[in-house]
Amino acid sequence: MQRPHTSATARHLKDNLGTWVFLLPTLLFFVGYQVYPIFRVVWISFTNYEFLSNDPAQWVGFGNYVEALNDPLMWDSLWRAAYFTMMFLPGTIIFPMILAILVDRVQQPKLQTLYRIVLLIPALIPSTLVFVLWKWMYNYQVGPINYLLVDVFGIFTYQNAPQWLGGTALTLPSIAVMEVWWGLGYHAIFFLAGLAAIPKEMIEAARLDGANEWKVFWHITLPRLAPIMMILVVLRFGTSMAVIDEYLIFGGFNRASPTYTWTMFMYDQAFNIGLWRQGFAAAIGMIGAVVMIFFVGILLYIFRPRG
Amino acid sequence: MVERKEQELLLQEASRKQLLRGQIDRREFLSRSLVAGLGMAGVGVAAKYGIGSALAQDRPLTPTFYDWIENLHPGIPAINEGFPDLNYQIAPVQGFGIERFVAEAKNGESTWDVYVGQTPFVEMTSLVEADVIEPWDDYIPAEVLDDMIPAIRDECTIDGKLYSWPFFLDVAGQGWHSGLTTTAGLPDSAPETWDDYLANAQAVIDSGAAPFGATFDAHGWRCVAPMAHSMSKDVYTPEGLFDFTSEPAIEALILMKKIMAVANPDILLAGATDGGVNGTPDEVAFAAQRVGYITKYFNAPLRMAQYWDEPTQLHLGPLPKFKGGEGSTVFWTTGSALFKHGQNKEKAAEYIKALTYDPRIWKDSIAGTETSHPGQLPPYKSIYAEWDANPPDWMLPFVALVRAQLDKAKAIENNLFGLSQFQIGQPLWQAYLTGEVEDPKVAMQNVMDAVKAERDRG
Repeated sequence: MQRPHTSATARHLKDNLGTWVFLLPTLLFFVGYQVYPIFRVVWISFTNYEFLSNDPAQWVGFGNYVEALNDPLMWDSLWRAAYFTMMFLPGTIIFPMILAILVDRVQQPKLQTLYRIVLLIPALIPSTLVFVLWKWMYNYQVGPINYLLVDVFGIFTYQNAPQWLGGTALTLPSIAVMEVWWGLGYHAIFFLAGLAAIPKEMIEAARLDGANEWKVFWHITLPRLAPIMMILVVLRFGTSMAVIDEYLIFGGFNRASPTYTWTMFMYDQAFNIGLWRQGFAAAIGMIGAVVMIFFVGILLYIFRPRG
Repeated sequence: MVERKEQELLLQEASRKQLLRGQIDRREFLSRSLVAGLGMAGVGVAAKYGIGSALAQDRPLTPTFYDWIENLHPGIPAINEGFPDLNYQIAPVQGFGIERFVAEAKNGESTWDVYVGQTPFVEMTSLVEADVIEPWDDYIPAEVLDDMIPAIRDECTIDGKLYSWPFFLDVAGQGWHSGLTTTAGLPDSAPETWDDYLANAQAVIDSGAAPFGATFDAHGWRCVAPMAHSMSKDVYTPEGLFDFTSEPAIEALILMKKIMAVANPDILLAGATDGGVNGTPDEVAFAAQRVGYITKYFNAPLRMAQYWDEPTQLHLGPLPKFKGGEGSTVFWTTGSALFKHGQNKEKAAEYIKALTYDPRIWKDSIAGTETSHPGQLPPYKSIYAEWDANPPDWMLPFVALVRAQLDKAKAIENNLFGLSQFQIGQPLWQAYLTGEVEDPKVAMQNVMDAVKAERDRG
């Protein structure tokens, strides 16, 4: 009874051998570069592994997780990341969408190309340069923003001018503004692609039926941009919750700074403090990842395709 | 065929160098030469005699430098020309990151032979704990060791072994913009006590000479530690942690709050580079000529004054002291670490000796170049003695001042938490500075508790 089944499986494998050969490099890369590190971090999170110690790691069960969950810094730092995300995510969806709709209305092909190029310029600037540029813009004493506010318009003095960066309450909103600016053109291109897929006849028909601009946007454009929005929301939710480069550069290791989020807490423990407790840091990372997966699930539900 | 011949020559040359270094005797050298002469067929045999390992050890001396060192000391490449085989590299240590060094050591290897950029209290203990570096004692000439200023030698030593070959010396002191202070009607001399310092700073503001009177760098090893040392150096626990609850530390905190009343309002904000550690607001204010006085390690005001209309208006002095205080300060050196799994260790010692004694480095550092004026000083007694005996025409007064301070100064003690204890504590003592906590003792107790809690984790 087994023979026909075995030969069918063997035939199936033989028929698909070429497919598997072509898939092999990707599979190897995926397993080696994605699956293995994830499982390795999960394993480390259950040990007392310290990077600077030469002692072998010991299994500690859920000890690191219990310690992290009982640490107020874990919850504070998660909240700070969520706070930044709440400012960043709407800005990264709404502004590019409005911009894309405006650019999409431009009829002149050359002008349309020019707008698209200009929009993409910030996205082409390397991150380091963007950070240096905005650090200068936000500088308390010599930055152009405070120069305008103090020296030109006289709204503030040197004693009470806004402190944009460096751990104040304005730090996260300031970084969010920078990030929205940086991704504006890049994200607008996503929406422009979505707008191009909407049949023009549908909009013309709606207008013939008496729909005004708002109704066209609300009933035709917006529903058809929902898949683009879903992709952007999920992608950008992940990146904004897990920001670290900007926080390292703009905030440093000050635990009271709004930029000391769970990613900074993890990095601090893994690469800065004491013997570098990477087992504990891995647990912090896993908790952050689980929280993110939970909210991504909610976002996918909210932006699920309807009709 | 050509390739084979080259390989034979390489093997012979490697053996010759080992012979000259005394690592093999003449008999072994002759055996290897004979085997190498058999051509590639003999390479397998040669390996038996250790020629393979001789070749592996034959990479050129490969030092790696923290990038700021080359930026501040543009004369280093000229000195490197004296070492034609040198494989000079820039280290992957942005923000004091040593993870690459540790990861390599765990595999029993090192891409580099020596790291130039180690600050003892920052990362030396970590590198020793992780078995990444080894002591210089077997390689450093005895006369160099004896030539080190004792306090610096102590700073670079753990358990009697020298783990850092000091290079650049930084000492915390005060600087002032004489253009602003003169406008404020102040004498052109360093305030001796903190009370005088505060009064002068207030006078700068009151006179309208500048919007701010004084400033400091909010990182603890640049403010709390030197200010505490100005009262007493007895501020360390038996295990080497900074004792934030000691009287000098608490007085330092109270003093910082008083300075903040006459300082630039962004004084507590993070800096612009190196994870907020450098490019700090005090430097921006001083460079912009908006503040009269600054307390920091001397190379900072020297660098900032280069942005002034008239850099000669910068004057430097020792750190003020509390009434009845010791009048000490903090110093640290940046030096070289020898990788345990590196190679060319004798050559590394030869190179570092040449580098640290080279008069071009010290002239550029003290007198400045077109591109930089670091003001960092040498760690050797003999160099200062030579300058005392025959003062160079480029010598500046602050050098004698720093040297004199060094006899009273103390380095922050080496500890696994040497740097991070100040990072952990900063937001907690700042709660007092911002008025969230009223009692400085409570704030400092919170700092001590947080540092100890972090030490006891796991």
